[in-house]
Amino acid sequence: MTMTKRPVHLWAFLQGIGFFPGGWRHPLAKPEAVFTRDYYAHIARITDAARFDAIVFGDQLQGRDAAGRTPGRLAAPTLDPFTLLAAMAGASEHVGLVATVSTTYAEPAEVAAKFAALNYVSNGRAGWNIVTTAHPNSPWNFGESELLEKSLRYKRAKAFVDVAEHFWATAAGKADGGALRNEWFDVAGAIEMPSSPQTRPVLVQAGQSGDGRDFAASTAEAIFCPAPTIEAGQDYRNDMRARASALGRDPEGILIMPGLAFLLGSTEEEAKAKHREVLDLADAELCVEYLSESIGYDLLAHPIDRPFPIEDILAACEFPVADMKRMLTPAVEAGTSIADYCRDYATKPRGHAIFVGTPEQLADRMETWIDAGACDGFTLQPGFMPSELELFCAHVSPILQARGRLRQNYEGHTLRDHMGLGRGLEAAAA
Amino acid sequence: MFLSISLDRLGDESAAQFKARAEAIEALAPDLVLLARDKSGVLAPPRVEALVDIAWMTGILRTPAVAAALPALHALPFHVARALSAADFLSAGRAAWLPLLGQAASFDAGYGTSLHDKDTAARADDFVRATRALWDSWDDDALVLDKVSGRYLDSTKVRRVDYRGAHHATMGSLNAARPPQGYPLLVRDLDDRPESAEHADILIGTDLPAAQPGVVRLQRVTDNLADALHVFREGGCEGLHLASPDAIDILRTLRASDPASAASSDTELTARARFALPQPVNRFTAKVPA
Repeated sequence: MTMTKRPVHLWAFLQGIGFFPGGWRHPLAKPEAVFTRDYYAHIARITDAARFDAIVFGDQLQGRDAAGRTPGRLAAPTLDPFTLLAAMAGASEHVGLVATVSTTYAEPAEVAAKFAALNYVSNGRAGWNIVTTAHPNSPWNFGESELLEKSLRYKRAKAFVDVAEHFWATAAGKADGGALRNEWFDVAGAIEMPSSPQTRPVLVQAGQSGDGRDFAASTAEAIFCPAPTIEAGQDYRNDMRARASALGRDPEGILIMPGLAFLLGSTEEEAKAKHREVLDLADAELCVEYLSESIGYDLLAHPIDRPFPIEDILAACEFPVADMKRMLTPAVEAGTSIADYCRDYATKPRGHAIFVGTPEQLADRMETWIDAGACDGFTLQPGFMPSELELFCAHVSPILQARGRLRQNYEGHTLRDHMGLGRGLEAAAA
Repeated sequence: MFLSISLDRLGDESAAQFKARAEAIEALAPDLVLLARDKSGVLAPPRVEALVDIAWMTGILRTPAVAAALPALHALPFHVARALSAADFLSAGRAAWLPLLGQAASFDAGYGTSLHDKDTAARADDFVRATRALWDSWDDDALVLDKVSGRYLDSTKVRRVDYRGAHHATMGSLNAARPPQGYPLLVRDLDDRPESAEHADILIGTDLPAAQPGVVRLQRVTDNLADALHVFREGGCEGLHLASPDAIDILRTLRASDPASAASSDTELTARARFALPQPVNRFTAKVPA
């Protein structure tokens, strides 16, 4: 192995039944399996064997309904991701386990205890993707009527992480567990939690806005972001490294992990045919439900071969009116039908880059991005589950290993070890 | 005779040591394992956060019902309903929960909010009601999963629940399917929460009430095994909760010597089936005329 090559860090982003909205209908998809322990044990074992750094789950705190109607054709994720990761800890030895948890509708004591527990049962493999909750339906689930304003959400997040850090430092014997008071929280002391080889989880962020980037630069050790092009990746990575440096942090201590959805074939033609197949499985009604869920408005209540009823949407939609106007005005002015707009929208979900090709081509692309300084690794999103992930593990990881880009064996035990992020709280005192 | 035992991390036990001890308990085939701290008859939430603990432990304890002991005053219904739904799916219907008032004061410090003096019994009941309401967001048969027609679920079988109580309010719909058991089994410790308006499936206590249909009573055993066995023979309980320091030895002895305590040979049982308890009815489907 040539040691001078920059390694590729691999995360598997495994929410639901895969990236494409219609993917659950593919003959090789297993929508019934995602309700069973055996499925998650299998996923944990194959990602461990394929030397991934971590498995990552996203999370949301709203019901799946748009205006009370839950989509009938979308495979919404339906099991609590933190629970799935804790179960996967018991079925794997090395792979990291990154849970997305919001700081908006929780208490630091509860969240710190959950991550200490996940680190305990996994011997130090936990990561925390720190998010704030922006979906307008979420406060209703916690007895509140209005979202926190965005800058306040980030202020609360920073204060929340400070309190959680205090609890972990106490559990690791690096703090006294005394009182801590800030603008948002006032705790009298720590609660008991188990220590582990990595008491503090790896801190992950996904900030895009100015507030989000500032928070990530001050807090995150790794960042999950969309990067549709290599230039976008370079710009984002350079910006985040500069922000971290300006705060006195080592830019090597913050890894950029852009999303990369993929569909694999043994030939390029086979992969492209699979892509067409998956897009065709997203029928018109599914695509309309997909946008309906995204905007919190049930578009199926209208004829979908007609243009958007923009006035109705703005009057009833649960999201900020300005955001809706910005998103839909071009389609309204062009007279695009709901169905046409939604079909296009569903082909490239969430702005992430999409790769369609052979394992060799995917490995080439990953090396190119790494060497161009566009990222430190990838948050890989299989087109559907589990067969696309199985293909990656069986065919792409071995190529990356042969090219000296991916570990043959794990060199450490904790997620912080895998990511090359030092020892955290377990570092010897200076 | 049903047999229940508590299981919590001891001292500075590593995850591997804790797992090995759980496997030893699994081999003795208890009917119920409480993931709870159990000191001289007082139950408290476990040292390893209960919702993580139950997810991990139901992969090690492959046959019994497994209960997560939760701080009833601090936990939030939406988070708990989701986590226990997932635990119930992953364990094929063996999840249970044990909302506790005990040791609330020790949580107050970390939460920065004192809740243990404020109308505690009512708040705990409200927590249970709100969580159960969220489990009624989905009907048992809401998932369709038909690739050919493209129907993933039946939209008419998922709804907002709009629960509004004195202490908790939650809209739903829950972003988690209804647990296989409808509601995971609710365990109540009468020595911790003597008063409750909410139906519990399993009662644990020192002084148990008269038998009632749909309720399993477990006599708490600390240093009084002979007395507890007498209560069982007299029909005063359906089983024992072993809470003494030598609980595992008592479990071993009872399994070996008492024919009435022969472990169920069917290891595929849901918790409700194991205790012969009925499946709860969804409040929303119950209103639909046949």
